[in-house]
Amino acid sequence: MKRRRSQTLAQGKTDVEDEVDSEELEEQDDPDPSGKTRTPSAAPAADDIIRPVKLSKSELYKPPTNEELNRLKETEYLFHSNLLRMQIEELLVEVKLKEKRRKHIDAFLHEINSVLSQIPETPERDLVDQSWLRKSVKIPFLQVPYDVKGKFHFLPPSSIKVVGSYLLGTSIKPEINVDVALTMPREILQEKDNLNQRYLRKRALYLAHAAGNLAKNQLFGSVKFTYLNSNHLKPILLLRPGGKDEKLVTVRLHVCPPPGVFKPSRLSPNKNNVRTAWYTEQSSDREGVSEPPTPHYNNTILSDLALEHHLQHLSSCATDFPGMKDGIAILKVWLRQRQLDKGYGCFNGFMVSMLVAYLLSKNKINKVMSGYQILRNTLHFLATTDLSANGITMSKVTDQALPSLADFQQAFDVVFVDPLGLVNLCADVTAAKYRQIQFEAQESLKILDDTTTDGFHLLLMVPKPFIRTFDHVFHLTHLVQLQDACKKMKLLNELMDRGGDYVSTVLPFLLSVLARGLDQRISLLSHTLPQRPEWDIGQAPAKHKDVGLLSVGFLLAPGFCNSVLEKGPAADATEAADFRTFWGVKSELRRFQDGSICEAVVWPGETLHEKRKIPELIIKHLLKLHVGVSESSVSYTGNLTDCVLMKDKNAGTGEEQMVSIVQSYDDLSRKLWNLDDLPLTVTSVQGTHPSLRYTEVFPPVPVKPDWNFYKDEKSKNCLVPSLDKPCPAYIPPMKVICHMEGSGKWPQNKDAIKRVKAAFQIRLAELLKSQHNLLCKPSATYTDVYKDGFVFRVQVAYHRELQYMKETVTPEGMLKSQESEESLQLEKETLHLPYMTSTLHGLQQQHPAFGATSRLAKRWISAQLLGDSFSEECMDLLVAYLFVHPAPFTAPSSPQVGFLRFLYLVATFDWKNSPLVVNLNGELKGADVTEIQNDFVSSRTRLPVMFIATPKDGKDSVWTKNRPSAQILQRLILLSAESLRILEKQLVEPLGNHDLKTVFRPPLDFYDVLIHLNPKQIPRHREAIDQPAKSFVRGFLTTKAEMKNLYFPVVDYDPVQLYLKELKEAYEDFALFFYDSYGGEVIGVLWKPSSFEKQPFKATNVQGRLMDMKSDRSLTVPNVEAMLEDFQFLGEGLVQKVETNTERWNI
Amino acid sequence: MAAPSEESTLVAPAGYIAISIQFSEERPTHHCLYAKEHKVREKVEQSRPLNRTLFVINIPPYCTEKCLSQIFASCGTVVSVELQDKPGPSKKCNKEVRSKYFDHNMPKGFKVGYIVFKKDVGPKELKHLKLQKPYVMSENLQTVKTGIHKWIEDYEESLTDTVDLQNEIDNFMKEYDKKLAEEDEKAKLEEGIPDEDGWVKVTRKGRRPGLARTEAVNLRVMEREKKKRAQKELLNFYAWQHHDSKREHLAELRKKFEEDKQKIALMRAQRKFRPY
Repeated sequence: MKRRRSQTLAQGKTDVEDEVDSEELEEQDDPDPSGKTRTPSAAPAADDIIRPVKLSKSELYKPPTNEELNRLKETEYLFHSNLLRMQIEELLVEVKLKEKRRKHIDAFLHEINSVLSQIPETPERDLVDQSWLRKSVKIPFLQVPYDVKGKFHFLPPSSIKVVGSYLLGTSIKPEINVDVALTMPREILQEKDNLNQRYLRKRALYLAHAAGNLAKNQLFGSVKFTYLNSNHLKPILLLRPGGKDEKLVTVRLHVCPPPGVFKPSRLSPNKNNVRTAWYTEQSSDREGVSEPPTPHYNNTILSDLALEHHLQHLSSCATDFPGMKDGIAILKVWLRQRQLDKGYGCFNGFMVSMLVAYLLSKNKINKVMSGYQILRNTLHFLATTDLSANGITMSKVTDQALPSLADFQQAFDVVFVDPLGLVNLCADVTAAKYRQIQFEAQESLKILDDTTTDGFHLLLMVPKPFIRTFDHVFHLTHLVQLQDACKKMKLLNELMDRGGDYVSTVLPFLLSVLARGLDQRISLLSHTLPQRPEWDIGQAPAKHKDVGLLSVGFLLAPGFCNSVLEKGPAADATEAADFRTFWGVKSELRRFQDGSICEAVVWPGETLHEKRKIPELIIKHLLKLHVGVSESSVSYTGNLTDCVLMKDKNAGTGEEQMVSIVQSYDDLSRKLWNLDDLPLTVTSVQGTHPSLRYTEVFPPVPVKPDWNFYKDEKSKNCLVPSLDKPCPAYIPPMKVICHMEGSGKWPQNKDAIKRVKAAFQIRLAELLKSQHNLLCKPSATYTDVYKDGFVFRVQVAYHRELQYMKETVTPEGMLKSQESEESLQLEKETLHLPYMTSTLHGLQQQHPAFGATSRLAKRWISAQLLGDSFSEECMDLLVAYLFVHPAPFTAPSSPQVGFLRFLYLVATFDWKNSPLVVNLNGELKGADVTEIQNDFVSSRTRLPVMFIATPKDGKDSVWTKNRPSAQILQRLILLSAESLRILEKQLVEPLGNHDLKTVFRPPLDFYDVLIHLNPKQIPRHREAIDQPAKSFVRGFLTTKAEMKNLYFPVVDYDPVQLYLKELKEAYEDFALFFYDSYGGEVIGVLWKPSSFEKQPFKATNVQGRLMDMKSDRSLTVPNVEAMLEDFQFLGEGLVQKVETNTERWNI
Repeated sequence: MAAPSEESTLVAPAGYIAISIQFSEERPTHHCLYAKEHKVREKVEQSRPLNRTLFVINIPPYCTEKCLSQIFASCGTVVSVELQDKPGPSKKCNKEVRSKYFDHNMPKGFKVGYIVFKKDVGPKELKHLKLQKPYVMSENLQTVKTGIHKWIEDYEESLTDTVDLQNEIDNFMKEYDKKLAEEDEKAKLEEGIPDEDGWVKVTRKGRRPGLARTEAVNLRVMEREKKKRAQKELLNFYAWQHHDSKREHLAELRKKFEEDKQKIALMRAQRKFRPY
């Protein structure tokens, strides 16, 4: 028998991050510029596992050298800890530019310089006459309106200078940009060029002509246009070297005016430089009316003027300040991970550099500080200062001619004025974006202060994509509509100021409408930055509507986000009219319980599923009313994954059922407490079923059995499934542990305790029947109680049973406690599970999204057929981790974003080298966590592959002890990475016609054998991902039907699970079985490669094997044909067919 | 997948004979039971007399005791069939009573069996089996129950008869109480009376109870001793103690440093420092 499979389960790609591009490989040979020694002694062990360090005594106790003491001291002062210092050093090595590359770049820059000065001059023409321009170049400017006065001719630049981060040494990989400023000769510019975009158009023409000439040159691999920070008034030219150096560097050519050409006072934020008459192309009939100020337009021109001065200022700050480079590089990484550094209105590296310079001038940073301290101080400043309320200025001169801070404040949302006192560096930053920056800084500081977490990793290594950061996100798809919105909201002046870019014009107003509408429901509102792509110089620049997507995201406030009522002012108050206009037809008068009559808006909210949709309804309503955006172009991605949790299209997502289960359980526990005539009293009642911690994927629904559907066992008052009918719907028994009081009467022997417990079970059944008229079904180990349509499985426990179970007597006659399989099981059931259930129940009260997130995660893992390989408790804890330790995010408030983060956690967590510590209730202190980590490192090889520690269980990882296996975990990691990629792509691209259930459909070609099941015998058929249009009647009456409780319904009867159990018992050695326990129709079988090797005959090891007739020696091979027949035979009535996927293996 | 030919299935390892069994005529495949005479070097169990016992391995999961006794009926009258997970001593002897409510260790999956015949069986009788065609189970037996049939039956069986269970519990507890009473009686008689070496047994129940002999108690006593000793010791009394504590601190820092270095090296190797 031979296996032809190329890749087995075990050989998944072990390291996804292994993909290394050639350029990076090349770098590795570089000598380390920082001169740090990479000692071979610290090299990792071959199998990538951290081992405890063993140092010899002489090494540990040798006298310290001066150098060593200095370093230790420095670390103490300048960094948090040794580890952090080393981590930051490593990070800087990764992102900073290598010396060798720098030389290449310098050479390239020299060549550019010579090429630029050779560009031919052109004769003078009118600005509107662009026929002289090469045909291969289109002017990178949207010339609306086209007509403008002025003349233009090209002259070689009067100076060519490198500016920006490259000179400062703060540019970071992977995108190395070198900014080169070309200064236009004074002769090109005329008086009044500051008016009506004349300067800006000349600038664009200048660039276009240069581009046309450079494009021919062999030196460049690509010559493209783009906009600086996506500001469409400011095109820049991108030059990249040709050949294999393509990715080495991008040179960005900026064009700026000669110094002093414009009078700064004319460009103050309160001055007008774009005439309404020109912009609207109407003769000025509004004579005498003062023109509106154009602050953004003015700022655009001013920032060109100040370009050089800013560089000088920064480089003077950076002298004898070695930490500044590091600090800025780290801050840039921080911004980039949060997607704050690109697009229109970004907070980019330049602004951060200026901020550091500002802090230096205010003595909040001094020149001996390390990069880490700069990061910390800058974050602290960002977190505590509100630039949108109190702007800051770097200017030290108090000149009356300069505009005042108040002027800036009036014109801009966020104010940060440059050293000249002219330019607002944060002109394009919206207030909402600034709030987000502030929020991120606050969160980051909290992370840094927390000693139990790895702050470095969370702050700088974890990316925070928009879709994973915010609870709800929606995209605006047809941005053309915003053009009409400008008219609707009367934003003509603003539109003129922004040169016709209606997207960025409307944005601040749109956000303020949303902020008012959502009010208390959200804690943070932000948006993505509109980004303009690069384009070929031969193409015309893209229109404003092609900016792509505008996405808005918000963090929900857990307490308020789902409230159905929006209470307004009293009907006779003055604000009432305002309220009515804001909410439109949705507003109505309501009388409240306290007798007041108020304006109010009421949203539909029968079930939690509906309530979760309220923010969506509000947004769609308000956008339509105030901005004129149609509902169809708002693509809302807040609750799309809810659909996999719905059993029935009309019913909700099951939260309501769980609430009624908990109520029924509470009632039962009260009844148990108060039972009369019980020989001992009940000390505690603890539920352990997932429904009682709100994490059951499909919570049981109340049932009333239809007697005709079953055989009845009259003597025992129980129903039994009937052979000729479809399998009855599955009723899960919900386990409830009932502790009995301790007493001297309890026997001291484990077998006797079992009997006494059984007697209690019988007694409980009798008493519940006689005192509360509940239908009960006792057995030796539990009593099933049928109550309110649910079935509870009450299990009596005695707290000292565990002790007796563990007792063994050593040969010396000493009593010793020793764990056995049985005792561990009992410990799990009566100690760990009740504790976990109650703790997670508490977590659900704090974070309402916990339950649904956990259910989504479980549903997904089961849909991927891996449900059996992970215990439910393990999944619950993984999800609890997202809520207890959300950093660098905030605790999710919507199940969908929780699910995305769950996938990310599973895919990226370093299971090999770290324990996942879930600090439930914050019971673990810093020292405890360190202890857990140390224990983990010292005994890694003996511990389960997936190690989850909780306060009650720090050393064992009870829930992952036996499963998953390493191979299954590896597969889960691959699956979750892939699912995350697909799902996020679907959520980010609303225009594609996606099916969100894609990630819930497992690939079946992966399996060797598929066992197809007969839906008639699948009791949970309706829970399948793709719900069957029709299924079978499963023996239950409608909930309203009248009936008497005479017979106990069929409990815990799932033929598929029984079948799987038999398969596993018999064929565990040969194959793995995979099944989606929520209504799957297929069981996937995977042969174990090892069992297919020929093995010598042994009496203990012959199960299912056959003597190999081909070999002379007595070797055995698996009897595969017979096994395949057995699959069919064991599942008689359940199995439809056994399909073999022989392409993957043969005999 | 061609059906294996007749001879192939009948290849048996040395000392065994192969018996192929088939579920029904239509199904071409079969499992192979391997049987040999039961032989043990150590003490012979009463329930498995030598010469009369046949040892069978590779019994498929759906094959019950009843099936086996029918299969081997052709060799002689079968007295008993015992199925186990693994070859080894009989489990029935260890416990006097097997309770159907409290012991759930039924053999699962592929099993081994011990078949006891009324008369001696030699190689001659076994040859009968060897020459036969594959044994077809569904023909010769009342239907073997599998699948839905079996599970429904199992469910029915799992319903507990309360009265029966209560009786069993009462009996067990009666026995248990009796046993305890006897032990108490015995202990009372022995109390205070020295044995032949002159030692007196001290129990927790006597007039002067001793410490319980458990591991936990031992540990506790040791802990207490240690604490007492530690209290007597003075810290920071001698100059060397002060030096030592400083040295220890430095050593601790160094160790931590080495550990961190190792961690960093590992992360670097895994390219964990590339932020994006």
